[in-house]
Amino acid sequence: MAIHKIILASFLVYLMIQFSHGATKERLFSDLEKDALDVTAKPSRQGVLDAGIDKLSITWKLSSTAKKQANFKTIKVKLCYAPVSQVDRPWRKTENELFKDKTCPHKIITRAYNKSSQSFKYTLDRDIPTGTYFVRTYAVDAKDHEVAFGQSTNEAKTTNLFSVQAISGRHKSLDIASVCFSVFSVLALLVFFVNEKRKAKLEQSK
Amino acid sequence: MGDSTGDTGSSMHGVSTDKTGKYDLPVDLEDRATVFKLFSFAKPHMRTFHLSWISFSTCFVSTFAAAPLVPIIRENLNLTKQDVGNAGVASVSGSIFSRLVMGAVCDLLGPRYGCAFLVMLSAPTVFSMSCVSGAAGFITVRFMIGFCLATFVSCQYWMSTMFTSKIIGLVNGTAAGWGNMGGGITQLLMPVVYEIIRRCGATAFTAWRIAFFVPGWLHIIMGILVLTLGQDLPGGNRKAVEKKGKVVQDKLGKIMWCAVSNYRTWIFVLLYGYSMGVELSTDNVIAEYFFDRFHLKLHTAGIIAASFGMANFFARPAGGYASDIAAKYFGMRGRLWALWIIQTAGGLFCVWLGLANTLVTAIVAMILFSLGAQAACGATFAIVPFVSRRSLGIISGLTGAGGNFGSGLTQLIFFSTSQFTTEQGLTWMGVMIVACTLPVMLIHFPQWGSMFRPPSTDPVKGTAEYYYVSEWNEEEKQKNMHQGSVAFAINAKSEDGRNAPSTITV
Repeated sequence: MAIHKIILASFLVYLMIQFSHGATKERLFSDLEKDALDVTAKPSRQGVLDAGIDKLSITWKLSSTAKKQANFKTIKVKLCYAPVSQVDRPWRKTENELFKDKTCPHKIITRAYNKSSQSFKYTLDRDIPTGTYFVRTYAVDAKDHEVAFGQSTNEAKTTNLFSVQAISGRHKSLDIASVCFSVFSVLALLVFFVNEKRKAKLEQSK
Repeated sequence: MGDSTGDTGSSMHGVSTDKTGKYDLPVDLEDRATVFKLFSFAKPHMRTFHLSWISFSTCFVSTFAAAPLVPIIRENLNLTKQDVGNAGVASVSGSIFSRLVMGAVCDLLGPRYGCAFLVMLSAPTVFSMSCVSGAAGFITVRFMIGFCLATFVSCQYWMSTMFTSKIIGLVNGTAAGWGNMGGGITQLLMPVVYEIIRRCGATAFTAWRIAFFVPGWLHIIMGILVLTLGQDLPGGNRKAVEKKGKVVQDKLGKIMWCAVSNYRTWIFVLLYGYSMGVELSTDNVIAEYFFDRFHLKLHTAGIIAASFGMANFFARPAGGYASDIAAKYFGMRGRLWALWIIQTAGGLFCVWLGLANTLVTAIVAMILFSLGAQAACGATFAIVPFVSRRSLGIISGLTGAGGNFGSGLTQLIFFSTSQFTTEQGLTWMGVMIVACTLPVMLIHFPQWGSMFRPPSTDPVKGTAEYYYVSEWNEEEKQKNMHQGSVAFAINAKSEDGRNAPSTITV
């Protein structure tokens, strides 16, 4: 009874998929050690920064209150959205489960953990969107799991924020090409049409 | 426009002045092919088929080209969720109006000009996407690009002039289904083009803009091909065609009245909103749904979204074919039953999709829903050519417009507010589909019957000839304007079911 075997096999596969959902316990942001690192992020100038041009001076060092530093292997520095830039944008939502959390999608730099103070001069990437940001550093262990973090703002994410204006992505050459092809399209149509009308008139007058 | 002898409608471009009879395929009284040879490009019938579906597909590619790139575009243009949703509604709303107009254009100018004009005049709208800088521009351009979906009407109209009624379900279903596939193709094409451009060195926010040149060029290429290789009429000696009165000069007002005063038109407008309409809505929301609810990666969600649209490849022609099979045994009544069953089944699977809690059940439900909705589209347009002969273009246009209206409406009610989660929206959309498919039961043709009533036994009023010729008044009949309808009525005897004559004599 081949059909019975097929149905049983697919049912077993289905069950396996069901169970695989609940297999791993999700790692949570609230489990991480807070303020393990002191982080500062200083913009290169006042006002709204331009993506691709302006820089941030980022420094981080182990905080005096840190406890889990024995596990720190790597430090991941990331650019994160402030709450005002998350409004009406569910793709930037803050979630407690780390794998779902979309607060800090932009990587700045990754460095091996060093007890002494570290710094990095970061030029804002050209694909950073317009918004308000802060900097967060995650301390990651040997298994690539986050254990602690520090950020350049307070817990409510209201202080020391900076704004970035994205590049437009538009270029004069693109605009010109766009106009040229559009004009070509309309002209080609008109030329065909007028030509055909003329031929029909000639045919008729014969 | 047309010949200077005063014939409006179809141009004589491409029509040979040789005697009729030299076609690659067997033809009927109106020179329409009676057989469908898929892999042929012979003129005029199969060449028209391929030109028609490819240009329609190109328009689907450009209308939905933004959807898979939204994750990049929303960051470049600083869009909110509402902006993205509104752009989705805008993309399907533009063609509500353009499909209506296209119906009239086909009746008056012919489908070849209709198609070419629309495809080439909408190329600038596609190119202008590379210049937008904010939400308002994005919504406006998506709205304008959406106008080109009216090529659906020219496509269906063109098929109806080239292929006979017995196979029109299959032909229309295949042409439209393969056209609709463009909505699936674009979900794979645009991300690939974008990635290639990025690898060549462009930044993200420039690469997506350049990517839009590809659908723009497709528009220009297809427009030129349609103009050079296409023809409106299958052929025939010009004088013979004029003498038989096939190409008639008709008045817009009369055609419109004929269309809107026929109650069946409005039932199909509603029905199509809940087969095609829900398909378009799902095209816009399904990738995001799978991404959010089942935590898939974006490209995985994109592949699922693409497969929803690509099912059109066989689903829509299958619907048309099923309708033709039902007609073979049960005539028009069979077609009506087939439509009701298929569309209701689609609605029930949509309900299931919203209720599915696991990824596997959701994918199964989605596939079955796509088959039901898309086959129903095919089955709808297997019947529409029989509603009227005189106003075929306008009725096709109105039905097509109904599809887009249904899409805008369902997106607005179920997927743009916080009142429903997306899964609740899908379930309620399924319920609405089932409810709005019930009016099929009201469609009655005196010569063929309806789902629950047999055909009329009146010897005069119960004939196909009476039905189609009564669209013309006495004055018009004096001028022999109705001869096309007489020929159509004779060919339409295929809808009598098992009682249909196997050979058609004149």
